[in-house]
Amino acid sequence: MVEYIIQNYDIVTASLPGLAVLISATGAFTLPLLQLITKNRRAWEIYTALFTFLVMCLTYKLMFKVFEVGKPLVYTFGGWPPPVGIVYEVDRFNGLLGVVVSSIMFLVAIYSIKYLEFDDGVQWYYTLFLGLEAGMLGCMYTGDFFNLFVMIEVTAVSAYALVAFRRYDRIAIEAAMKYAIFGALATTMYFTAIIFAYGSLGTLNMADMALKFRNIEVPVTGLPFGIIHYGMALFIVFALWSFAFKAALFPNHFWLPDAHAAAPSSISALLSGLVVKVGIYAIARFLYTIFTASEAIASVHRLALLAIFVMGVSSAFLGAILMFIQKDIKRLIAYSTILNIGYIAIGLGLGSAFGALAATYHIVNHAVAKALLFMAAGAYIHYAGTRDIEKLSGIGRAMPITTLAFIIGAFSLAGIPPLNAFMSKFLLYGALIATGVLPLVAIVIIPSVIAFLAYLKLVYTIFVKPMPEEYAKKKIKDHPLLTGPVVILAIACILLGIGAPYIINNYIWPATQSLLDWSSYTEAMMQIAQKLP
Amino acid sequence: MNPEHVVVLYLYAALFVVFGISVYGIVIKPHIVKKLIALSILGDTANTLIILLGYRTLPKPWPPVFPELEPSLELIEEFTKLSVDPLPQVLVITAIVINMAVTALLAFLAIQVYRLYGTLDFRKVLKLRGW
Repeated sequence: MVEYIIQNYDIVTASLPGLAVLISATGAFTLPLLQLITKNRRAWEIYTALFTFLVMCLTYKLMFKVFEVGKPLVYTFGGWPPPVGIVYEVDRFNGLLGVVVSSIMFLVAIYSIKYLEFDDGVQWYYTLFLGLEAGMLGCMYTGDFFNLFVMIEVTAVSAYALVAFRRYDRIAIEAAMKYAIFGALATTMYFTAIIFAYGSLGTLNMADMALKFRNIEVPVTGLPFGIIHYGMALFIVFALWSFAFKAALFPNHFWLPDAHAAAPSSISALLSGLVVKVGIYAIARFLYTIFTASEAIASVHRLALLAIFVMGVSSAFLGAILMFIQKDIKRLIAYSTILNIGYIAIGLGLGSAFGALAATYHIVNHAVAKALLFMAAGAYIHYAGTRDIEKLSGIGRAMPITTLAFIIGAFSLAGIPPLNAFMSKFLLYGALIATGVLPLVAIVIIPSVIAFLAYLKLVYTIFVKPMPEEYAKKKIKDHPLLTGPVVILAIACILLGIGAPYIINNYIWPATQSLLDWSSYTEAMMQIAQKLP
Repeated sequence: MNPEHVVVLYLYAALFVVFGISVYGIVIKPHIVKKLIALSILGDTANTLIILLGYRTLPKPWPPVFPELEPSLELIEEFTKLSVDPLPQVLVITAIVINMAVTALLAFLAIQVYRLYGTLDFRKVLKLRGW
């Protein structure tokens, strides 16, 4: 009975995607019970760190197995085969992203122990934290577009609440309000998109949807009925708008600087490094695996790619220019997120394998470097108690190790070789040259130069300027719990940069290939579906 | 065209109008509670839309429930012809639960905005925030 729903994998590996999500969700639901038993905050912190560590181990094992076998792994909930039941479908692309998510979640869990030492109600923080992890892993692994809606909502509700965690901070509440109202609007729009897709295709499974576009008959759900063009065009428009909102692409970026600046720094690292990637992942999955190479919606698909490209270019320029004029350190880093999400969208909007490769590598690099920047900035803010760049001047001298890591992260995102984001920008540069329109390379170079100046100004103020007297009195120094995760990420930045040829050959390029390879994605589902009685 | 079809078409048209009005309410209305109400209406409209999609325009559609525990093959065949689609209703239950969570969170945020700013007018909140 079990054999036919598990293809190519042993039973332990095949249950990992469900377990990873389930364990984080279990952690989230049992933490409120734990806080009834013990009021010791150390217990809650260790509990969360253990859960995130466990999930991290599971996702690593899953990724290595999927890379080894090379075929998508289908996890069926309750053993119901694909077009009927909900499935998780893990290929190399989302396996890789799952690892990025769980590793950064673990480091942030460690960082939060020290960072939140003055806050009360941390048990609710950790509950939402584990809920956020469950939601993001669910978004990454899911192979069902209604389940994607549910998981996006789980991620989003946790994120709204975490932005408002410091509930007596006026700015945090206002930013959370703005984020939550428009976020809820965006997810409802995605629900409407699901209505159109279900109405015209009669399925909720992503692989099944990809097969329907190519007129291949699937057991149970059969062929699409009637004319699907209008329904699908509406689906693409509504779904892409809500994903673009989640990814904070230019006209929908307005919530990001407020929410990321007002949240606690540990949460800013997650929002910037990972939560916006959920939107990017959904865009990539839909545009590259599901809608590609089908005659039925080829024109809509081209238009959607163009729209993503244009939105990416506008985000890159807007992020770079607004980044330059910020006076708040976290807003500056938040605008840098808009810039880098713009780069990823440019890579995806090109519609070529080269562009998708650059985008995939930049997703990983940006997640690492941006989490580093927010966490290092959080360490400064934790001691100085202000986010104003001028008032933070010279604080870097008191915390030399954190500052070294901060400089590595800032220079990486500014595009200094041999750090990691330089490598992915270089790939993007190559992908733009490969289109044959040479002036296009300006859209990578100009924002990058402006961002470099902005980072240089920031590093100058924090590290080179003399330190005011008051910091000497406060006894500011590197704390291992704050500095440790930051240093690990800085080492990751260097390794991802120096080892780029190896990493691209062995991880990023195979991941991109499985993003582009719709046939093996659908085949994995079909193999199981055909065994249906 | 039989009367059921006409009724369903009118319902679709009405739902799209309500959809437009609620999006207008969320984006334009400055009062936070009014935004919240508009958001609830939007969620309910989407839910009704998908319920309507699963409805069969037959004179007497069946509810999606088998009358006996072990249905015969003929009954199943008749069922597929006459029953309404059960899947949208399942989706709606999930969506309602999620909407409840979002609305509860937004209601808390609205209370907190009122505590901190003394107003629920979003324009005044933006003016008061101080940066």
